[in-house]
Amino acid sequence: MTTILFERTGGFMGRKVSLSLDLDALPSDQSEILRGLLETCDFFSLPESPSLPPVPDEFVYFITVVTDTVEHTIQTSDTGMDDSLRPLVEELGRLARKA
Amino acid sequence: MHTHRFIHCIVPPHMLREISRSGSGAQKIAATASLAMSEQVRVNRFGGAASAALATLAAEGVAPGVKQRRVYDAKNGSGLPGILIRGEGQPPVMDAAINEAYDGAGMTYDLFHQIYARNSIDGSGLPLVSTVHYQKGFDNAFWNGSQMVYGDGDEDIPINERLFNRFTACLDVIAHELTHGVTQHEANLNYGGQPGALNESMSDVFGSLVKQYQRGQSAAAADWIIGEGLFIANVNGAGIRSMKAPGSAYDDAVLGKDPQPAHMRDYVNTIEDNGGVHINSGIPNHAFYTACITLGGNAWEKMGRVWYKTLTEKLRASSDFQNAADLTYQSAGELFGAGSTEQTAVKVGWARVGINIHGALEPPTENEGCLAGFLRLLGVR
Repeated sequence: MTTILFERTGGFMGRKVSLSLDLDALPSDQSEILRGLLETCDFFSLPESPSLPPVPDEFVYFITVVTDTVEHTIQTSDTGMDDSLRPLVEELGRLARKA
Repeated sequence: MHTHRFIHCIVPPHMLREISRSGSGAQKIAATASLAMSEQVRVNRFGGAASAALATLAAEGVAPGVKQRRVYDAKNGSGLPGILIRGEGQPPVMDAAINEAYDGAGMTYDLFHQIYARNSIDGSGLPLVSTVHYQKGFDNAFWNGSQMVYGDGDEDIPINERLFNRFTACLDVIAHELTHGVTQHEANLNYGGQPGALNESMSDVFGSLVKQYQRGQSAAAADWIIGEGLFIANVNGAGIRSMKAPGSAYDDAVLGKDPQPAHMRDYVNTIEDNGGVHINSGIPNHAFYTACITLGGNAWEKMGRVWYKTLTEKLRASSDFQNAADLTYQSAGELFGAGSTEQTAVKVGWARVGINIHGALEPPTENEGCLAGFLRLLGVR
């Protein structure tokens, strides 16, 4: 079992966008893309939260991944984000906006 | 009517600037006026209010500010600032977002300079750096501490699912972001809770004023909508926020209903969005709107000056709504006199949102002496 919970808050509008995905229930091509993005950024090794001051109107992202053996949550933002994490955030953001 | 003889525009601007700095008294005035006239010609599509302000500045001998705009293209990536596309004085390019960011930064600069005599974000001519086409499907704009950043909306999803246009399409959005820079260099309001909501409100206030100034609209004629035109046509909403009627900007099947309160009794306590900075900003926004409507006329001329003075001279990083109310009242008194109609309008504005001015002493009336007035204030009579 692998579940991804994605939440985006803040922004110029201050609107929350969220998404919950069960990778095992997704079509295999979509599931593989997301598993690959989690692996690329080494998600479970990422720090939970950067100690950066808030940036006006910036999006703040919360991502939680739950598997059978581990659960990990990170908080990040556009200006504070590690480049390796950005493709995952962009893909989850796109799916959340379509949801 | 007194008029100045302008130095004709055959004299290049750099020479005019030098004369305006080091010429004789009459030469300084003439050179300053000529520079202002050159600026007026260059921006001749602006409304009458801007032109009149330029002439006033010239007459007062205030040297024109020097805009330094730079607009970059992130090419849908995240690297900032990206590739420089248009610098100051360069002609428009075949990219609407680039031109909008350039023009919007200039119009924002103009309000702060022409009306409040402020030279750019930091007051010292800081270059106005903007980046457009940030990431893909980026439905946002933000100030990152040193520059403006704009996304193209949600152009990456099917058209029937989209909600947003590009964020440079709205002048007040551009002015909002730039004002975050001004706030950062002045009160530096903490970006959380009430100080954060005040920070957001200041950006909405001057965002709206830039739009009203460019359109030459009085407070009564303005729409007081922030982000007008940011939604695509199939969204049921006039814009992102309404300063006139917080909570009424949109009511859409996908977006839901505008959550902004217009009164302290509806203040939203939340940990999201840095303590609801974009929600509770509706309260000070509505106070400003009410003060402007109560006073009448052009909002940027008097009430804008009150808010600007408060932002730049009085507010502190931790200031809350009550502080803002008391200090705008104080500013209005200093600018226009105790008991003036301007100061009364400020009081009315804050009272409308449920905040009474602390220490808002009514002056003695014409028919009572100081002692009698003092006793009245103490509630003795």
